[in-house]
Amino acid sequence: MTPILEVKNVNKTFGAHHVLRDVSFSVEAGKVHALVGENGAGKSTLMNVIGGIHQPDSGEIILDGTTMSINDPWQARQLGISVVFQELSLTPNMTVAENIFVRRESTRRFGFVNWKRLNQEAQTILDHIGINISPTELVGNYSVGMQQIIEIAKAISFDAKVIIMDEPTSALSATEVDRLYAIIGELKQRGVAIVFISHKLGEVFRIADEISVLRDGRLVGHVEPESSDQAQIIHLMVGRSISDLYPEKGVDGGEVILEAKGLSSPPQFQDVSFALRRGEILGFAGLVGSGRTEVARAIFGADRLGSGEIYLDGQSLQVNSPREAIEKGIVYLTEDRKIMGLFLTMMMRENIVAASLGQFANAAGILRHKAIAEKSKSFVELVDIRPKDDRINVINLSGGNQQKALLAKCLSANPKVLIADEPTRGVDIGAKAKIHQDLRELANQGVGVIVISSELPEVLGLSDRVAVFREGRIVSVLSGSDISQVNILRDAIR
Amino acid sequence: MSVNTQSVGGEKSPRTNPLKSVSLENLQIGGLTLVIVIFSIIMQLNFPIFLTGQNIGVMMINFLPEAIIALGMTIVIITGGIDLSVAGIYPFAAIIVGKILLVGVPIPIAIVLTLMLVAALGATNAFMSNTFRVHPFIATLAMLLILRGVNIVITGGAPISGFPEAFGTIGQGRFELGGFISLRYSILIWLVLALLVGYSLKNHRYWRLSYFIGGNRRSARMSGVKVERYLYFVYMLSATLAGIAGIIVASQFNAASNSYGQNLELRVITAVVIGGANLNGGMGSVLGSMLGVLFIALIYNAFAMSGISTYWQDVVVGAMLLASIFLNEILKRWRSN
Repeated sequence: MTPILEVKNVNKTFGAHHVLRDVSFSVEAGKVHALVGENGAGKSTLMNVIGGIHQPDSGEIILDGTTMSINDPWQARQLGISVVFQELSLTPNMTVAENIFVRRESTRRFGFVNWKRLNQEAQTILDHIGINISPTELVGNYSVGMQQIIEIAKAISFDAKVIIMDEPTSALSATEVDRLYAIIGELKQRGVAIVFISHKLGEVFRIADEISVLRDGRLVGHVEPESSDQAQIIHLMVGRSISDLYPEKGVDGGEVILEAKGLSSPPQFQDVSFALRRGEILGFAGLVGSGRTEVARAIFGADRLGSGEIYLDGQSLQVNSPREAIEKGIVYLTEDRKIMGLFLTMMMRENIVAASLGQFANAAGILRHKAIAEKSKSFVELVDIRPKDDRINVINLSGGNQQKALLAKCLSANPKVLIADEPTRGVDIGAKAKIHQDLRELANQGVGVIVISSELPEVLGLSDRVAVFREGRIVSVLSGSDISQVNILRDAIR
Repeated sequence: MSVNTQSVGGEKSPRTNPLKSVSLENLQIGGLTLVIVIFSIIMQLNFPIFLTGQNIGVMMINFLPEAIIALGMTIVIITGGIDLSVAGIYPFAAIIVGKILLVGVPIPIAIVLTLMLVAALGATNAFMSNTFRVHPFIATLAMLLILRGVNIVITGGAPISGFPEAFGTIGQGRFELGGFISLRYSILIWLVLALLVGYSLKNHRYWRLSYFIGGNRRSARMSGVKVERYLYFVYMLSATLAGIAGIIVASQFNAASNSYGQNLELRVITAVVIGGANLNGGMGSVLGSMLGVLFIALIYNAFAMSGISTYWQDVVVGAMLLASIFLNEILKRWRSN
């Protein structure tokens, strides 16, 4: 079968940085071609070149046998190449129909919109993918997962021959992921070619017909899922095998550092009790929305706690704001680094010391910049952020390095208890292993660590004990050999 | 053709309260209308001349420039921008049209020349903010300051007057129809412009792009909207409307002065925000903005009538501005729960 889209020997440089080197890549109609690689491997650039956002320095893009030069995303869409971006490209204050058909609305004379036709056409497309969304509802009233699906509807409305999805499941709940898979199946039947970019190898193996691996801007492997496995892909991605993605488990026996008794804040969580020991990593497992994050935020003082008691080092603890929590030694590494964790347009250095500025001020409140620079440097070394220059803005770091910077920020506050919520979301394998190692080292130094994660392997690999959440309650606490995928799922779903 | 899985509903909060199914925009407009009605009733009970045709006429004439300029400002704010220069363009247009008329140029040509000139100033605003990535606040502030100076230089600080008698028709003449309708031409001009801009902003595909640009500029770009080019249209429109208001006022007083339009930009922005527009872009409507202007007109008129020190009127308008922003925020939170 001939490919519908072919990329031949594409090169792209940004300044002195060679991002794509001689990349060739093709997709066939009705097939899902997964594109994997570490952050910074060139996946996004390749996608942007195909989608018309960047133009290649050399090489060809061939659509349906014709060499194309694609100058902007709009042109790409009209040619039949649609990109579903990770950051949604919808406008929340407009209706679903208007978002799908922006600039292509059905009109009456003089360009006035024909609302009835517009909404009918949108309804037809939504019906095609079997989703019950109202065309006249504002996009902002739907969940992020639904918005992702509206994006796909928009792509379909262009009669797309090729749809490129960039990390489409990163913000979706489990049911939404299933719905997305169903839609992808439907698109395949219709002969649409799909490029699927993802960090989650599990889902790549579930959905892809072929897998291409990028490393440092080169295509280093092209495999069929049937004749490959995750270990081989990881090996291709990092250029070495990572046997120790997860560090050694801890030794138990530390005294209790944080104890929660009967924490309730209905309807989010009810009667949650647990004890966290020094030097241990306690995993919080459960579905999204089962109360894991809400409990963590309440302990950190970010949300109000309805009732219940918290003890830190045996002392009763009242926390009304994150600031108080940090002063007492409880630090929360947020699940959403872009919105809540980092000041994107500020320097890495300023971010790292942001939660501990008090340590660096003299009596008059004037900051000692030299001390800040030294401290910041030591943390950049510790968590291995690249590039090492801590004066560059965080927005210019890759996702993995942003996450490391966030970890450094939390560490600089000298925590007694660290709550890490999805510490490796959207992070490449190399950075992931490093973050796991850092968390374990922190525990070994006597800090109590709580890890909240939706990725079961991470909970399994990292935790000394696992508290399983279901519908706002802790339903079981597993330890030792009881910690297994089967046991956690049994308790979390039932 | 449909996916074989069951069709699943959108995950939104269930709508039990009927008020929650009304759009935020309509809720805000409804609230503002209610405030205006209650305020008018209270005033009418205390001052029986408040709602007479004559007093309403005075209010409309006094706030006609604000009402016309608010049409442009609404679109500017919907796109996420702001235009302070209108308070410079408004007297500038009055002065320029007067100067051209005094040279003896025919009236229609003088008007067209003036409007072309102010449209070019609007284009300059857009050029500054597009090309040099200057925030529109700064670009239009610079334009405002420059024009204020220019206006004084041209007039020498004294009003100019003595325009041809026919020119006065625009601001003073009346449109009569069968003895029933008798409207000033200036009010007719505003009415036509407001209907045109309001309807287009609701229903015309090109005008609606302003909501996309203000709601999510990146997404607008991705959808192929030429954002920079569009902003030329928006700022030229805003400047042209300010120019029309300036020509009307010159005709009405048969004079032009650099002192016209003091703090006009702030009154207009206040009215537009009270009317439900959001300075972050993506929200706003002509109906809301017109109600906002009406509200301010009522307040100013009421203070003048009641004899309470007019220094208090800005306190009330400011408080209403805060209240409307506050209300907007509360409504948003209440609905997202």
